[in-house]
Amino acid sequence: MSLEATSQPVIKPPSESALRVRLRRTREIAASVLSNPTTLAGLLVITAMVGMALLAPWLVTPNTPDPAQMPRDWGAIAVPPGSPDHPLGTTNVGGDVLYGVIWGARTSLRLSLIVVSVTVAIGVTVGSIAGFRGGRVDEVLMRIVDVFLSIPELIFALAIAAVLGPSFRNIILALAIVFWVKYARIMRAQVIHVKQNEYVDAARVIGDSPWRIYRKDVLPNSITPVIVQATLDMGNIVLVGATLSFIGLAEAGLAEWGVLVSEGQSGISGGRWWASTFPGLMVFLWALAFNLVGDGLRDVLDPRTESR
Amino acid sequence: MQIRDYILRRLLVLPLLIVGVSIIVFALTRIGGSPIGIYLSHEMSSEEVAEIEKRFHLDEPVPVQYFYWVSGVVQGDLGWSGVAAAPVTEVFPNKLAATMELAVASAVVAVSLGIGLGTYAGARRNRMPDHITRIVSISGAAMPLFWFAIVMLIVFWVGLGWFPIGRSRPEIFSSIAHPTGLYTVDAILAGSFTAFRDAVWHLVLPAVTLGYGATAIIARMMRSSLVEELQEDYVDAARAKGLAERLVLRRHARRNALMPTVTVIGLSFGFLLQGTVVAEIIFRWPGLGRWMADSVLRGDQATIMAYVLFTSVLFLFVNLVVDVVYAFLDRRVVLGS
Repeated sequence: MSLEATSQPVIKPPSESALRVRLRRTREIAASVLSNPTTLAGLLVITAMVGMALLAPWLVTPNTPDPAQMPRDWGAIAVPPGSPDHPLGTTNVGGDVLYGVIWGARTSLRLSLIVVSVTVAIGVTVGSIAGFRGGRVDEVLMRIVDVFLSIPELIFALAIAAVLGPSFRNIILALAIVFWVKYARIMRAQVIHVKQNEYVDAARVIGDSPWRIYRKDVLPNSITPVIVQATLDMGNIVLVGATLSFIGLAEAGLAEWGVLVSEGQSGISGGRWWASTFPGLMVFLWALAFNLVGDGLRDVLDPRTESR
Repeated sequence: MQIRDYILRRLLVLPLLIVGVSIIVFALTRIGGSPIGIYLSHEMSSEEVAEIEKRFHLDEPVPVQYFYWVSGVVQGDLGWSGVAAAPVTEVFPNKLAATMELAVASAVVAVSLGIGLGTYAGARRNRMPDHITRIVSISGAAMPLFWFAIVMLIVFWVGLGWFPIGRSRPEIFSSIAHPTGLYTVDAILAGSFTAFRDAVWHLVLPAVTLGYGATAIIARMMRSSLVEELQEDYVDAARAKGLAERLVLRRHARRNALMPTVTVIGLSFGFLLQGTVVAEIIFRWPGLGRWMADSVLRGDQATIMAYVLFTSVLFLFVNLVVDVVYAFLDRRVVLGS
């Protein structure tokens, strides 16, 4: 044994690389999320719904020229469920309920993905600026948030969509204008909290730029409640969006759950229950599944704000 | 901070929020450009158009237009409702009475059922009633009201024929005077039992349906805070001194568990208010919500503005009252933080 080797300071290599630590953490979180039976059930429903949305063109024959419009079978009006051509029956105007249920999943997935990504982007940006900069910027941004929160969600979205004119595109826009506020508020509170940690001071002392501190230290440690809220909103947005289209703010004949419930509504006094029941049930299951998974995520990721 | 200071501060912020809301509402109607379209017809000459622009101050800069609008609102001028074919303020009180009767009935259902269910479940933690309540409250947040209402109609109106639709039977409506516009109260004032029964009969199904979501929120909160309270030392003390379990629950635990529940009752009021739009469409209830829905579809801007402004201000006031009540109930709350 050489003398040189023993006189060297012993630097033990870390037992795990950063990547492995991160992978292990992810696996642990996934395992603990999945150990909750209601979360698992929610996840299964989401998988089925998203699968249906993605595979819609193969599950039903897409309507031509526009697959997002309901196909009309004028030879089969108000057919009860169970018929070979129309397993879930048809509406008063010959719309195939099964087509609406399946293509509606696609419409809902599009709606919720667009609105959630836009609102998270706006909300996280506004909330981060307010929380990170503080002072007058914070004051002004938060007063705007307060005013937005003073108007009940559904009524605000209803008014915006009404003024913009009835179309599904405007429903998306209206929901984006209404839903970013919550994220701004959550993000601001998180950033203010995280900013006070010693590791942020340490980063400042070693001369990191504010942008680097934000990106490396503040953002990753603040984002968890945003993820939980985004999961819940994947459900809520479809719920509110379908309500708006039920009221009549989407194009008539669109293959969307709310539109279909509205189309079936006129038949119920004549005992034709199916046209409204099935698509409405889809909205319920969609919102329920995302609520269950959101609650499960919150319990694991963010135990401080335990759901009540 | 003193409660008095807290209330004063909230009261000072309130007008600022109301001004903020009014700016948003005004801005909304200007998104689509000048609202002059509703006054125009094809035969008008450009002089006539200019004359109309001048009359409604549409030739002025937008901030000045906002000022004219606000001073009109303050003086009780909310514009002309195309849907009702009358000034907004003229139609408003009657529709408001209809909506309030429905909302209050739903709130009564939601608060009593929610607190009852929550207490029942919380006292029987992890047993069957608790699981059932949990399912009720989880599904409440995800339930599309427009669908739930239709399912209720399919079952109780079409299927069983137990409940009617609408607000009253025409012959009973015309049999008594309606000074308040609240049909149950009008029936009591007129001393007519038939009219009262008819009013309640029409109210039950929409009130229960609309109240479901709020019931779920309240039950969930009540259950979890009761479970928390039952683990406190004072509950053990009450049991140790030999107090019957029923009384421990009623006199001690439930009373304290009600405190956090008060906040969600305020929250669920917003829920109810929004729900009236959908419930009134489906149950053919002639209130503000249905008027708003019709106005939305027919581009009746004056009604939309009035409705959004009114509900937001009401919402703000209710939240203020709830926060103040909560502050009084629980002095431990760190006010203003």
